[in-house]
Amino acid sequence: MEKKTTIKQEKKLWFKLDLSANVYPTLQRKNFSSVFRLSVLLKSEIDPLLLQQAVDETLPRFPTFQVAIRKGLFWRYLEKNTRPGPYVQPDISNPCMPMPFRANNRYLIRIYYYDRRISLEAHHSLADGSGGMFLLQTITAVYLRLKGHFISNTAYVLNIHEAPDKEELEDAYVRYASSKVCPKRTQERAYRVRGTSEPFYTLNIICGVLSVKEITQVSKSYGASITEYLNAVLLYALLEKQKMEHPYKLRPVKLALPVNLRRFFPSKTLRNFISMVYPTIDPRLGPYSFEEILSQVHYYMRYYITDKFLNGDITTNVKTQQHPLIRIVPLFIKDMIVKQFYTRIQDKQSSAGLTNMGALPVPKEMAPFIERFDIYMGQPFSARTNCAIGSFEDVLTINFASSIIEADIEQLFFKKLVKDGIHVHIESNRI
Amino acid sequence: MSYCVHCGVELHETSKSCPLCNTPVVNPRIPLIPDGKKPFAEKKGQVDRVRHSDMAILLSVVLGSTGLSCGILNFFIFHDSFWSFYIIGACILLWVFCIPFLIYTKLPWFLSIIFDGMALVLYCGIISFSHPGNGWFIGLAIPIIVLITGLFLIFVFLLITFRTSILSTSIYLFLEIGFLCTGIEILIHKYFEEKIYVTWSAIVFICCSIIVISLFTIIRRSRLREAVRRRMHI
Repeated sequence: MEKKTTIKQEKKLWFKLDLSANVYPTLQRKNFSSVFRLSVLLKSEIDPLLLQQAVDETLPRFPTFQVAIRKGLFWRYLEKNTRPGPYVQPDISNPCMPMPFRANNRYLIRIYYYDRRISLEAHHSLADGSGGMFLLQTITAVYLRLKGHFISNTAYVLNIHEAPDKEELEDAYVRYASSKVCPKRTQERAYRVRGTSEPFYTLNIICGVLSVKEITQVSKSYGASITEYLNAVLLYALLEKQKMEHPYKLRPVKLALPVNLRRFFPSKTLRNFISMVYPTIDPRLGPYSFEEILSQVHYYMRYYITDKFLNGDITTNVKTQQHPLIRIVPLFIKDMIVKQFYTRIQDKQSSAGLTNMGALPVPKEMAPFIERFDIYMGQPFSARTNCAIGSFEDVLTINFASSIIEADIEQLFFKKLVKDGIHVHIESNRI
Repeated sequence: MSYCVHCGVELHETSKSCPLCNTPVVNPRIPLIPDGKKPFAEKKGQVDRVRHSDMAILLSVVLGSTGLSCGILNFFIFHDSFWSFYIIGACILLWVFCIPFLIYTKLPWFLSIIFDGMALVLYCGIISFSHPGNGWFIGLAIPIIVLITGLFLIFVFLLITFRTSILSTSIYLFLEIGFLCTGIEILIHKYFEEKIYVTWSAIVFICCSIIVISLFTIIRRSRLREAVRRRMHI
C-alpha cells in the first residue's frame, strides 16, 4: 500500500516550464532543437560502465533533468520521467543533433563519452549553461568517487545524498521581476552572415584553446576585461565579414549575449535564469577601429549589464507571459505566434551568439583530474555561427558551432587573436 | 605540432589541413599522424526515430472495429440496404491516408499519393455499387480521380525539386487549378458524349493564367518582390 502511494506521488511530480523555456519547444523542428553541450576533458580514459553508474546515482538529485516534456491545453509542462535511462553512449561527430521529444525514452538529456571526454547535452527547456554545469560536474565528481578518489561537495558539485532544495527547482524570473516599467523588446534588424547551409544536422565545431594568462595580459593592455575583449574581437570579425561581402545596404552588427542573472539576483535555481543583451556596432555611422569597438563594448556592458536594466527585461517577459489574454489562448495558437515572432523578429536581431561562462570553479580535489571544459551553444536557429567561451585554471576554450560550410568568421576571429600575440591551438570536427 | 602558414594558429597533430582556411599542412620536420586520436569522435550520430507504433495500432484497431461492427449490424439487424459499405469504405480511406504519417513513415511520397488516389477510387466504387446509375463511375469518377492524383503528384514533385517560396507555391497552385478545371469540363463533355469544348473552365484558366503571369513577374523583378514582401509581411 505504501509503495502504491509512493508511485502515485511520484507520478504527480511536474514542473511548469520556466519563462525562457517556453520558447525553445516552440522552435522545435525535424532538423532543429535548442540543445547545448557541456564537456569535461579528464586526464584518463573514460570507463563507460562507471560513468553509467555515476549517471544513475546522480540523476535523482536533479529532478528537473529527469523529466519528459508534455503538452497541456494552454502551456507545455515537464513531467517526471520514470522510463529507463538515460544511457551513456559513445560520442558522435555531429554534436547537438536534434532531440525529438518522444525519442530517447523521452529524456531531454544525452550523455556521451569519447576517449577522455564526458559530454552532456541538454535541451534548453530544462536548464541554462550554469544548471547544466552543476549536473556535469556532479556526474564527474561521482564518477571520480567511483574510481576511488575523494571529491568534496563544493563549487558546482552538489551532494547527491541530499534532497533537492526548493530554490533549485524555482522559476527565478517570476521571483525577481519587479520593475515598474517594461522596456521595449524589439530592436533593429542586424547583419546576418550569409553562407552555404550544411546538409541535414551537420554541426561544424572549431575549438580554439588559449592561455588565460596571455589573454588577460592582452585584454588588460586594451583596458578591458576578457569578455569585453572577446566580444569586441567577434564584432570586429563580423564587421570585416560584412565589409568583404560588399552589401548593397550596411546593417548594424549585433551579438546576442546571454547574461547569467544569478550574478545579480541570488538564486540557486538549476533551471534557466538568463537574459539577453545585444552589444552593437553600427557601421553606417562610419568605419570603426578595433579600439573604438572595444571601447563601445566596454561602456555598453558597464551601462546595460546592471540589475536595474536586467530587471526591466525580465519584467517585460514575465508580464507578457502572465497577461490574462495570453494565458487563455490555446497552446497551438501560442506556438504559431511565438514561432512567427522568433523567426521574423527575434532571430533577425543578432548577427551571432556569444556566451561566456567565465572561469569555472571545481572542488580542489577534482582539479588534478581535469584538463579543460568545453561549452557549445549548439545548432544556431538560422544559418550563422555561435560562440561559447569557458575557462578552467590556465586553459580558456572558445568553441564556435556553426551550421554553414564557410568558416570566415572563425578565421577572422582567431587571426585577430594571433595578431594580438595570443597563441591559439585549433581543434575541429571538420576534418 | 604544426602551424597554419596562413592563419598562424597551431593545429592538432592529426589535422591534414587548417580547419579555418583549408590550407594543407606541409611540415617535413613534424610528420602528420593521420591515424592518431582525433580530438572529436568520427562516427556520425543519427536522430532517434520516433515510434508511432502505439498510435498506428490504436488507429487500426479503432477503424477496424468500427468497420467490422457496422458490417455485423448491417448483416444481421439493419439489413434493408448496404449502408455499412459507406462506413467501411470511409474507414479504409482514413487508414490509407494515415499510412505515411503513422503506419509506414518510410513510404515514398509518390506511392502514398497513388495509394490515396486508389482509396478514393475504391470509395467511389462502393458508392457506385449502391447507386449504379449510368456508368458515372467508369466514365466520370475514375478519370477525374486520376486527373487529380496526377496533378497532385506534379505539384508535390515541383515543391520537392525546386526552391519554393510562398510566391512560387502560389504559381504552381494556380496553374494546377486552371488545368484541373479545364480537365474536369472536358471529361464532363466526354462523359455526355458531346463535342469537346470549354466554356466556364476557360474563364477560370484565363484568371489563373493572369495571376500566374503577375506572380512570375513579381518573382523576376527583385524590387517588385521586395516591395510586395514589405507591404504584405505578417
